[in-house]
Amino acid sequence: MKQITSGLLLTILIFTSCRKEDNSNSPASYNCNFSFSDSSTANINNTKYNKLLTEITGSGVPGIVMSIYKPGDGLWLGASGKADLRNNVAMKPCHITRMGSTVKTFTAVTILKLKEEGKLQLDDMAAMYLPAWAMHNIANADKATIRQLLNHSSGIFNYIRNAQFQTASLNDLIKEWTPDELLAYARGKDPYFEPGTDTYYSNTGYVFLGMIIEKITGKPFWQVFQEKIFTPQGLTATSFAATNTVPANIVRGYVDFYSNLQVTDATYFSGWDYYTADGGLISNAYDMNIFMQRLFGGNIINAASLNEMLTTIAPKKIDTDFFPIQHGLGIFKISTPYGDAYMHSGDAIGYYATIAYFPATRTTIVWAVNGNYGKIDQFISSKKAMEKIFATVF
Amino acid sequence: MKQHLLFALAATLLMQSAKAQKHPMPVTISIFNEATAIPFTRFITTPVHPGLQAGSGFTYKERNHMHLFQTFNIGYIFHSKLYHGFFVNTELGYDYKFNFGLNIKASAGIGYLHSFTTQKEYQFENGSYQSGRDKGNSRAIFSFGTGLGYRIQKNKLYSPEIFMMYQSWAEYPYSPGFIPLMTHANLQLGTKLFMHQKKDK
Repeated sequence: MKQITSGLLLTILIFTSCRKEDNSNSPASYNCNFSFSDSSTANINNTKYNKLLTEITGSGVPGIVMSIYKPGDGLWLGASGKADLRNNVAMKPCHITRMGSTVKTFTAVTILKLKEEGKLQLDDMAAMYLPAWAMHNIANADKATIRQLLNHSSGIFNYIRNAQFQTASLNDLIKEWTPDELLAYARGKDPYFEPGTDTYYSNTGYVFLGMIIEKITGKPFWQVFQEKIFTPQGLTATSFAATNTVPANIVRGYVDFYSNLQVTDATYFSGWDYYTADGGLISNAYDMNIFMQRLFGGNIINAASLNEMLTTIAPKKIDTDFFPIQHGLGIFKISTPYGDAYMHSGDAIGYYATIAYFPATRTTIVWAVNGNYGKIDQFISSKKAMEKIFATVF
Repeated sequence: MKQHLLFALAATLLMQSAKAQKHPMPVTISIFNEATAIPFTRFITTPVHPGLQAGSGFTYKERNHMHLFQTFNIGYIFHSKLYHGFFVNTELGYDYKFNFGLNIKASAGIGYLHSFTTQKEYQFENGSYQSGRDKGNSRAIFSFGTGLGYRIQKNKLYSPEIFMMYQSWAEYPYSPGFIPLMTHANLQLGTKLFMHQKKDK
């Protein structure tokens, strides 16, 4: 019995002592500057926008960065709150943070660029490009087109909705998940519907899209993002997590796990989206705003591709807690009191971001925060929170 | 709620103490690996979240092949990224005993968990986050366990026993308005001893 107990205790020690992360960033590691002259303080709305950010952080959000571009007013960049609570580092607009699922817009743009290069057709069957092991036992994987993966009309089960995945990711918060490990949580699950008959958000489809990019280009999909988007568009603060999972200068992420506005550092807890094209984007509010302006200005993909991207379908089930929404290719169209907007949001553990473009006024709004879940979500991602932001901007 | 739960547990234990004077008191000690998991989906999990539990209990009824009993326990769980958890619980247990020493176990219990974060916690006060003393979080816990035991001296009524339990449990409330309830599973290895053993009849 003594030997058994000793053996078990030794095993426990081995498993609990081999993993570490660095939570000891120095304040200097967050230093950043823009390479241009920021005229935000001269913006006519500077006071109003700063007040908005102060109200958001004053409600319980650790830190926020925001960029707003309005023709005539120019680009405004702002920040409030803390980038690092431990070191009392103030959030700055140039800080990089996790952008979560907003990467899906980049994934879609990359697919559309490959279409423009004649390397695929949107209505090709995804199975033409996916390895058999990836599709194994995932319902609809062999029946969906690339377009259906892009606009979430494949009906393929979203692995994140599997309660076993949710508990497993909590059980091992610093695990870095491989695509195969994530896809395992979609295997054997019933599809939501037959492909093309409805639309329902599925991260699984975007894991597949990353694999399709890799199959066609022979490169990691994040390298293709770099070559086709980040570098040509001058998005120098933008990267994908796989290249550096936790950059030293990324703002600390905080999570309100217990819904009591008592947060803990979650900077190392987003390992589920480091290697798949459904998450993992790292950027700042400036780069994301530039990306949206260039995308909708026709400077990244051509007009035909943009038209494909913005062709939307509506889900049959209406979410009454959010704006009326339709699904495009890697983008959503929402109907707000201030006009239609094309947008995407994204969560990582401890981080949240939204990118939005209002075509009627050619206004781009980006905000990213370093806290989420629990009580924080109501201040950053709810319909009410977005209405408040939009009302301030318009 | 915390005070009510503790009172209910204390009352249960006191009542059982009074009832148990005629029986030798078992002492159970176990170590376990906790996992945040959907019950019965995983058996062995990593990383290990170690735990330790100690307890005692009382017999309601015992026959050749059955044993109905109540336990009361205290314990500790360590999830290195999330929390230190201290708990008290009581379980209604049932053993079906085979003649060759093996027994099949089932239990159902309630308890109280108080957890403290393993990281520095920042509390939102007066419009900003401040580093403050972690007062911990209170939970009710509900458990259901199954397992096997082996009585080392199978012919003795109060034989030492080693056991393995797979204990599913839920904590409530977990994150009100966000995740109402969280489920866990413990794989538990332990021993039961009788400290003041009378001569077996």
